[in-house]
Amino acid sequence: MPLNFNFLTKYFTMFIEGAGITILLAAAAVFFGVFLGLFLSLMRLSNIKPFYILYGLKDSKYFGWLSRAANFNPVKFIAVTYIEVIRGTPLLLQILLAYAVLPPLDGVEFIAGVAALSLNSAAYVAEIMRSGIQAVEIGQTEAARSLGMKYGMAMRRIIIPQAIKNILPALGNEFVVVIKESSIVYVLGNVHELMFQTKIVTSTQFLTIEPLLIAGLLYFIITFTTSKLLGKAERRMRRSERK
Amino acid sequence: MNGNNALIVVEDLHKYFGTLHVLKGISTEIDQGEVVVVIGPSGSGKSTFLRCLNLLEMPSKGRVIFEGADITDKKSDVDLHRQKMGMVFQQFNLFPHLTVRQNITISPIRVKNIPADAASARAEELLKRVGLYDKIDEYPNMLSGGQKQRVAIVRALAMDPDVMLFDEPTSALDPEMIGEVLDVMKALAKDGMTMVVVTHEMGFAKEVGSRVLFMDEGIIAEEAKPGDFFTNPRNPRAKEFLSKVLY
Repeated sequence: MPLNFNFLTKYFTMFIEGAGITILLAAAAVFFGVFLGLFLSLMRLSNIKPFYILYGLKDSKYFGWLSRAANFNPVKFIAVTYIEVIRGTPLLLQILLAYAVLPPLDGVEFIAGVAALSLNSAAYVAEIMRSGIQAVEIGQTEAARSLGMKYGMAMRRIIIPQAIKNILPALGNEFVVVIKESSIVYVLGNVHELMFQTKIVTSTQFLTIEPLLIAGLLYFIITFTTSKLLGKAERRMRRSERK
Repeated sequence: MNGNNALIVVEDLHKYFGTLHVLKGISTEIDQGEVVVVIGPSGSGKSTFLRCLNLLEMPSKGRVIFEGADITDKKSDVDLHRQKMGMVFQQFNLFPHLTVRQNITISPIRVKNIPADAASARAEELLKRVGLYDKIDEYPNMLSGGQKQRVAIVRALAMDPDVMLFDEPTSALDPEMIGEVLDVMKALAKDGMTMVVVTHEMGFAKEVGSRVLFMDEGIIAEEAKPGDFFTNPRNPRAKEFLSKVLY
């Protein structure tokens, strides 16, 4: 079966436009996802025990049960629940749900797409960040605190910069995943990202294979470039480790 | 000991890790200008004791009074007190993502709000004193263990502390690098810095220590002048310990 790419002369700009929207969608999702993910990871690593005062009753015969309440950390509980629920439900469902709960305004599809992708990615980024933060030696925190830094400053100036360096490969992988998963947003219609544009071309040109191949090539170019750029950033951040 | 001179007063300090009773009631005073050397077998609680002094470990019971303020009190601002208590760790704990200069100046600049150029000038001066000025713009991984530890000492000194706490500062070093670190510590002692040093370097204890605390099983088993302690230890465990480490 010969492949026919003649449609490209007329529709190539549609693909490029779609690729542009895909990059925009993914970039916005990654941006919000990283911030929200960092926030979630700090919530998960927090040590907030509002009922710790119950330890005053530690001689009571009910203390076995009370000790669980005394050690309860609601902030961590919220973060863990969020992460588990997001990771345990399909992204497609999350996108449709985000669209359903938002008011039916003009262009709401794009916002629903960015919202669902960011909220989804944040759960994965949170786990990546948590592992990165926990991988920084405890001695780093101790050194920072012994120099008079407060917890927040020690995190921001000492721990998180080292954690980011450790997790850059995993974070880069997550960026690539978001770029690819952004294609699911086409189900909402009205967001002219790459997959949506491709579907238009397949249905108007009565072509099945060729537009998909073009879309695949464009996705690959975007993800491959992203990994290469991140690899470069990673090498730059490793300057301090060169021998 | 003159109570008015006491920089740190420790009262009945206890520390539990779960059910493990590591410190079983430590009381002592550390005076201005003293070099207190803490020695003892491993597991005796010496590092935990030192780490309780600046609350890297929170004491389970008892008080630590630093410059007249009870820092174990919940209401006291421990970050403020830690600025006056420099600490040097066995594993150096330099910040690997920062240059030597940034390692030394980050806290003066960010915590004490000292202008960057003044902090930098002070870092240069201190590095010259320990013979590492040429390393100022290197990253820590370019330094040897002894150089790292000297930078770590400078980093603590840059905060102008009133006391320096050393947690086995030479235990992670290759033998040929121990001397360069001990020389810096001796010079500090000579300048009148108050120091609390957990160490296995008996030579250092003898030469510059003003008092030895021998710890065993969570208590101070013997407290004496180094001259007396090393020639005539009274505690039987101390005798046994010294017979093993001095040869």
